Amino acid sequence: MTQTLQWFAPRRQLAPRPRLVLGIMSFVLPLLIWSLVSYVPWIWHPLVEVTEPGSVSYFKAGQRVERELFAAETAKALEAGAPQPQGTPANPVYLPAPHEVLQAFYLAFTAEPERRNEKWLHESLADSIYVIFWGFVISSIIGLPLGILCGTYDVFSRLAEPFVEFFRYLPAPAFGALAVAILGIYQAPKIAIIVIGTLFQQILVISNTTRKLDPALLEAAQTLGARRLSLLFRVVVPGIITDVYKDMRILLGWAWTYLIVAELIGTSSGITWFITQQARYKNFDNVFAAIMIIGIIGLSTDLLLAWLGRRIFPWQRAEARA
Amino acid sequence: MKTTFRTRLGSLLGAACLVLSSLAGAEPLKIGYSDWPGWVAWEVGVEKQWFKEAGVDVEFEWFDYVASMDAFAAGQLQGVGMTNGDALVTGATGARSVMVLVNDYSDGNDMVIGGPGIAGVKDLKGKKIGVEIGFVSHLLLLDALKNNGMTEADVELVNVPTNETPQVLSSGQVDAIVAWQPNSGMALKLVPGSKAIYTSADQPGLIYDVLAVSPESLAANREDWMKVLKVWYRIVAYINDPKTRGDAVKIMASRVGVPPEEYEAFIAGTKILTLEEALPHMKKGDGFKSMYGSTQIADDFNVANKVYEKPQPVDAYIDPSLMNAL
Amino acid sequence: MTRMQQFELPSYLEQSDAVRDRFARLRQRPVVLEVKGLNKDFETSHGPVTALRDISFVTHKREFVCVIGPSGCGKSTLIRILAGLETPTSGQLLLDGRAVHGPGPDRGMVFQSYTLFPWLTVKKNVMFGLERAGRGRLAAEEEAMQWIELVGLSKFARSYPHQLSGGMKQRVAIARALANQPRILLMDEPFGALDAQTRAKMQSYLMEIWKNIDITVLFITHDLDEAIYLADRILVLKAHPGEVQELIEVPVPQPRSPEQLLSPEFLATRKRLEELIHPPQDDAALSEDHLNMVRMVAVDDEVESVF
Repeated sequence: MTQTLQWFAPRRQLAPRPRLVLGIMSFVLPLLIWSLVSYVPWIWHPLVEVTEPGSVSYFKAGQRVERELFAAETAKALEAGAPQPQGTPANPVYLPAPHEVLQAFYLAFTAEPERRNEKWLHESLADSIYVIFWGFVISSIIGLPLGILCGTYDVFSRLAEPFVEFFRYLPAPAFGALAVAILGIYQAPKIAIIVIGTLFQQILVISNTTRKLDPALLEAAQTLGARRLSLLFRVVVPGIITDVYKDMRILLGWAWTYLIVAELIGTSSGITWFITQQARYKNFDNVFAAIMIIGIIGLSTDLLLAWLGRRIFPWQRAEARA
Repeated sequence: MKTTFRTRLGSLLGAACLVLSSLAGAEPLKIGYSDWPGWVAWEVGVEKQWFKEAGVDVEFEWFDYVASMDAFAAGQLQGVGMTNGDALVTGATGARSVMVLVNDYSDGNDMVIGGPGIAGVKDLKGKKIGVEIGFVSHLLLLDALKNNGMTEADVELVNVPTNETPQVLSSGQVDAIVAWQPNSGMALKLVPGSKAIYTSADQPGLIYDVLAVSPESLAANREDWMKVLKVWYRIVAYINDPKTRGDAVKIMASRVGVPPEEYEAFIAGTKILTLEEALPHMKKGDGFKSMYGSTQIADDFNVANKVYEKPQPVDAYIDPSLMNAL
Repeated sequence: MTRMQQFELPSYLEQSDAVRDRFARLRQRPVVLEVKGLNKDFETSHGPVTALRDISFVTHKREFVCVIGPSGCGKSTLIRILAGLETPTSGQLLLDGRAVHGPGPDRGMVFQSYTLFPWLTVKKNVMFGLERAGRGRLAAEEEAMQWIELVGLSKFARSYPHQLSGGMKQRVAIARALANQPRILLMDEPFGALDAQTRAKMQSYLMEIWKNIDITVLFITHDLDEAIYLADRILVLKAHPGEVQELIEVPVPQPRSPEQLLSPEFLATRKRLEELIHPPQDDAALSEDHLNMVRMVAVDDEVESVF
């Protein structure tokens, strides 16, 4: 009892074992709810999937109709002595059951492309990752140094930040047509959209992080003889790099959110276009499977980067564990 | 199938950047196509490598419909699959095109769908109708009303994006919707008791789907475009031949990622035209039977709905000479 | 306080012969730092505020000077000006007779907040200044290790700051500042964040270091005992504006040891500092200090009175 109470002490870290168990539960619980809603017929299931239309003229096998309507039609048929419609409880088409999604997930990787120029799913994924990767790299090549300069020197901050503040409100998708006109129809305009979507936030986030550097460290370095560039490269950069690394992990997540917009521009390709297309045809098992793939890629990239970060920045290990 | 404001913006920007695009002869012809059965059919030729056999260097690029018009307007494509109405819109806002081939006309895919209790167009009087205003479905609705002795004043229009029409109809907020496939099919599936009360099959030729090419490319590569058209009629023959239809449908269905049996329904609502069937539509005339007439009606509609300001020179948009020469 | 006054204390101005002799010799030593007519005004939203007014003093070679004063006397501003981290409104600052502007390695600084670079090991932290001064990597490393040994942290040379205790961090900070062999070591309440025990230990360490190397120290503190225990002379500032109130020569003989804390000279000096820093307050000020308490304990509480 007292132990469970301790679980709710504010900001107290739990023991490693319960932490791990809870971490697993955070995935198991939604899956459990999803399964319950999908497989237990009396939970939700607001529709009836018609298996046998009986005498109802507009029912078709496979059609999902509302429970009340189905009951009314059944009663009508019973009264008339006509064949009654048959059906099983069903959820709306946009909520496929876990096994259907899992099957779609499996098929997505194993089903061979039917056409010569059709891509395997992993090739579509590779296209998406290519776009994200280069979009993020190009954004970072500009955004990282500029953000650090803005956070360090007021000159750069005043020169760049007001415009950046303005530009970041412009929706990246609005530049789609322009990007196509200038950069063609293949991957380049998509990369440009990721860059536009990421860069301006990145500059501001990085400059803010840079400003959070303890000014006492800069003062200490100055009393130790550090000057201009050595202040920047020996104090500012190493001083913020762990926080910048964390920012970059978050920003990478943002880049992914722009992917769905980017892949609607120019030729259609990639994983999110697959999602858009499948949603149009209401193949929600495929939609969910693809969303899961993105989730898995995102989470595993982040875990990998976190692990890498702990290796690259040994002075941060205690902090990261806490 | 249809246009948005973005198309026009894109065309404007595209016109500015047209200078950048090169029309060098060595470059392959780039054709944009998108998710409409009459254009998905090109995939058969791509899959069978018939373009290579015909000795023409083309690249078919798969797009979202609006994105494909953007890319054409930006000068990144030499040809694009559009509706005749959208060719006018794209032209009016910067990127002139010439329609050299009619792929098909909508033959039932575009529908006015009445909810439960709406048995025909006449029942729409005084009712709320969900429609994307200014789009081709709007045009279909006007036609349906006119043929039943009504006008827009007799009904209440609710502006609804086409891909949301099924949900809106099922929510009961409107009494009828206008949509095209796959949304129209979804609405019928989703709302028990709903039915199509007027479709493009009632007015064939309301919407023609065409291959529109840039005038510069047509002038420079006329022979190549002829070859493209030849391959098109090889594709049509392959689709229409009962022996090979299954294979053709399979290729098309896989392009859009749906099971072939499901896709068959979409193809059924599209009248893919053989050369013999298409040629009469290329003759000048009034009304929907003629490309010229249909396009003129679309032009009037576009001007009336302020899609663009000035009427377009319809004749200049249509060049039947390639088809006539086959 | 009242208890102390019951003893018959000598005047803090009374110096034994040895002490007087030492101060005479100290004054003969060359001047390291000279502050002449230093003023500092700040612009605030309520108009200009004078933080320091006409501060002048000198420190001699290898002297240990403590600066003490009530809060708001500008002692931190003073040391930041000395370090070159702030510019005075007027006045002169001479180091070895030459005017100095801006921060530099000739004036080492130890801050109250641990300002070790968290991304560098202890050794790299100490090497930082040496490398800025253009020493080769190997030479810097060798030199750094000597300073680390001086503060007794050889075993922790490869540790990162987050692995050290507060006292250890400040020892590294001292070693890092000393490695540059500055003309003067400026210390801004360096032990302020430490617990009493660690602080006492650190004071002894500092005395040891000061005795053994050629260094002049200017040390800011608000702890009277600390000031008396460490300093040759104490510069007492008063607040609003910060002005020099008195420069006290501490009569406690050198070398110092904790036992002297109860010696008459020590207590006499302490009494004087008390008078300067906490002057007898008038009634109005007093009422602000005393809380107007109403008894809020249940009448049948088991503990009737805390006394």
